[in-house]
Amino acid sequence: MFSPVEKPGKNRLYLEVVQRLKQNDAGKSVERAELAQASACVVVKAENFSFFYGSKMGVKDISMDIYPSTVTAIIGPSGCGKSTFLRSINRINDLIPNIRVEGKILVNGQDVYDKRINLVNLRQQVGMVFQKPNPFPKSIFDNVAYGPKLQGIMNRGYLQQIVEESLRAAALWDEVKDDLKKSALAFSGGQQQRLCIARALATKPNVLLMDEPCSALDPIATGKIEDLIDELRRDYTIVIVTHNMQQAARVSERTAFFCLGELVEYDTTTKIFRNPGEKQTEDYVTGRFG
Amino acid sequence: MKLIFRIVFDRIFTVLTGLTVFIIVGALIAILGPMFRRGVGAVFLRGTVEFRKVQLAEFGHGDEAQVRAETERTGLVRAKVYEMIDRFKSGIDTRQLSERATEIYRAFGAELKLKEIPREQYTALRSLSRDIRDRLIEAFAKADIEQISQDVEHVLQYEKDERLKGTASEDFFRLARQYQKAAAATNLNKRDEYAKELAELEQIITELLGPRPTEDSPTLAQFRYGATRWDQAKKLLHKLHWKELWVEQQSSASLMRIEKSRIEEFAGTELEPLFRYIDDNLEKMLEPKPTFYWRYFLDDSTPGHYFGGIGPEILGTLLLTLLSMVFVVPFGIISAAYLTECTREGPVVRIIRISINTLAGVPSIVFGLFGMAFFVLFFIPLFGGPSKPCILAGSMTLAVLTLPVMIRSSEEAIRAVPQTYKEASLALGASSFRTFMKVTLPAALPGILTGVILSLSRVAGETAPILFTAGIAVGPVPKSVFQTTRTLSYGSWDMAVADKLSAQVPHNQYGMVVALVSLILCMNALAIILRSRVFKRLKGH
Repeated sequence: MFSPVEKPGKNRLYLEVVQRLKQNDAGKSVERAELAQASACVVVKAENFSFFYGSKMGVKDISMDIYPSTVTAIIGPSGCGKSTFLRSINRINDLIPNIRVEGKILVNGQDVYDKRINLVNLRQQVGMVFQKPNPFPKSIFDNVAYGPKLQGIMNRGYLQQIVEESLRAAALWDEVKDDLKKSALAFSGGQQQRLCIARALATKPNVLLMDEPCSALDPIATGKIEDLIDELRRDYTIVIVTHNMQQAARVSERTAFFCLGELVEYDTTTKIFRNPGEKQTEDYVTGRFG
Repeated sequence: MKLIFRIVFDRIFTVLTGLTVFIIVGALIAILGPMFRRGVGAVFLRGTVEFRKVQLAEFGHGDEAQVRAETERTGLVRAKVYEMIDRFKSGIDTRQLSERATEIYRAFGAELKLKEIPREQYTALRSLSRDIRDRLIEAFAKADIEQISQDVEHVLQYEKDERLKGTASEDFFRLARQYQKAAAATNLNKRDEYAKELAELEQIITELLGPRPTEDSPTLAQFRYGATRWDQAKKLLHKLHWKELWVEQQSSASLMRIEKSRIEEFAGTELEPLFRYIDDNLEKMLEPKPTFYWRYFLDDSTPGHYFGGIGPEILGTLLLTLLSMVFVVPFGIISAAYLTECTREGPVVRIIRISINTLAGVPSIVFGLFGMAFFVLFFIPLFGGPSKPCILAGSMTLAVLTLPVMIRSSEEAIRAVPQTYKEASLALGASSFRTFMKVTLPAALPGILTGVILSLSRVAGETAPILFTAGIAVGPVPKSVFQTTRTLSYGSWDMAVADKLSAQVPHNQYGMVVALVSLILCMNALAIILRSRVFKRLKGH
């Protein structure tokens, strides 16, 4: 079904191109061509995707490409369908009864709404972090090892290695390394949210979906999560839904603006915030939008 | 103004709710307190020597040498009671006296046969002894002291006869003198009345002290021993002193109970000192000692629960309860999982839910009948089991009875698990089955344990469902799940309805009830501790 993508190679290729683009504006044409080539390996691609809750429409006719090793922010007013779209990518919306979709979402070239798709593989490739920290009522170790165990890894030593790697990647290792047996619920909200990120990273996904990951956290914890996202962008493709426009501006490279279930504008973050193409976008980012 | 009203209403509300709680707690204490006190009496008691005899003979506990010494010691004190009764009896019990005379006549006849004497002499002596016998029996039947004296004197004339010297016939004269003396001391007109009274008195003394050592041991264990408990002995002593009578007050009114003194009845007779003697020496006759009968919870009992403990009842209750939990817990959780995880709300689920709720309200006797019809007569025979009541059938019936409780509480518990847990697990790639087993179920465990507690309490105390499926009042200790068993609830019910049993051994009935309540409390406490441990582990404190 899903073949593991050689993530580092592709990511690095794209990253290098972007770096070079940033450094000098000269030789634009060559770089543009290279960029186009790199973009061919988009990780998530939505094609005329629509989502319905019963007869009510969730999102309408979305087409967008999400590039590897990029942080893509999705912003927009409440009820505009940003979460719906995000939750469609790993099909976690399936929990809701009476849903219907039209169009396609491709992850690594595979349509996720294909009937033959293996949901287990899909979800292991597309990790997710939720709005509220939701660690399982188990120990730190069991929380992080949950995903690898699902993949059939039972070797204790290997599991320990994965747990340590994931916790290090989520910048949590130093804080919890002595309390791996302790229940996750005994930690603070920010730590819990980083634990959830570590848990998502443990399955070694390509894509990390974040559904307003900082909305339940205080500014300090939020700062830590943002730093973490900055760290992670090197190895993962991150899609983040946020209400906080400063956050989107701080952490993302590309931003999509959703309104009333439609994708209004999708471009680099700088462009969206400095020089939006649409009047609606401008109103929203400048705060004039009601 | 408004504010004052609000404050007043608040106060009234507080007082009313507090009062309600107070009344409920008070009522509980008022009901449970005495029950506990009496139940505890089954274990902490003043045991008499009879108690120790029972323990030694029926259950093999205790020091044999000590019990024998006690029996001897008390036997000496008791002997005087029997002596008094016998002496009194010799004056009034004509039938016994006649029998005695006949006995002597026979013994004398047998003695003559062995002697080598001429035939004429044998015949003469034989007829002489027959005369004496007949004269004595005549005298026994008479109520006039003058006539009795005449008869006795007549008999005593033969004492000088050389031929009778040194033979068994000398007992005739001893009997005659004894009778003369007893008759002189007794109001012979009241002889019949006394005989009746004496029989009653002897019955009570047998209950108090057990059968006489000279008598054969009765077949039924309950008649083999006297009062084993001091409080029981005290009650019997009261019964000994006071005769219970029911008299009609007016033609239409109900009968009134009055107590009549027995001492007055026997006043002036030889039996009068007996009452004082028993009063003074009861402790010496029974030797009560404070006893901690902890084996009460382990011992079997003699049929009818006259002596012994409630071991088999406790075992049976535990077996039935735990076995029914084995059936109900998995089925309850699976049903709850189906209702919460596998279906969406619709007419089918609604019908299922209504059925479960209805089932929860069905009287337990209906489950008992269902259990008999389905499990006993159909289901267990289907797999080659016996088609008769047994523990397996009983526990299955109890499981069906408590299934609604289990399903509903498990359902609530599973529903209360945050959706985010499930989402997180699914987002990591877990299947819904795995999510249920690894995340939802552990998180719902405290709630499910609450259901188990409720079911346990319900099951342990039920009587009606095991009436036809597993319970018996008297029977052997079960050796497999295909046998019937005694249980605490069934036992206390049986004692309440069985004839006079609860009046005779009240400590057993209360003991069973208290043991049942304590057993449920213990099991609940265990489950609650387990639940709080699980809860703590989940919360990470």
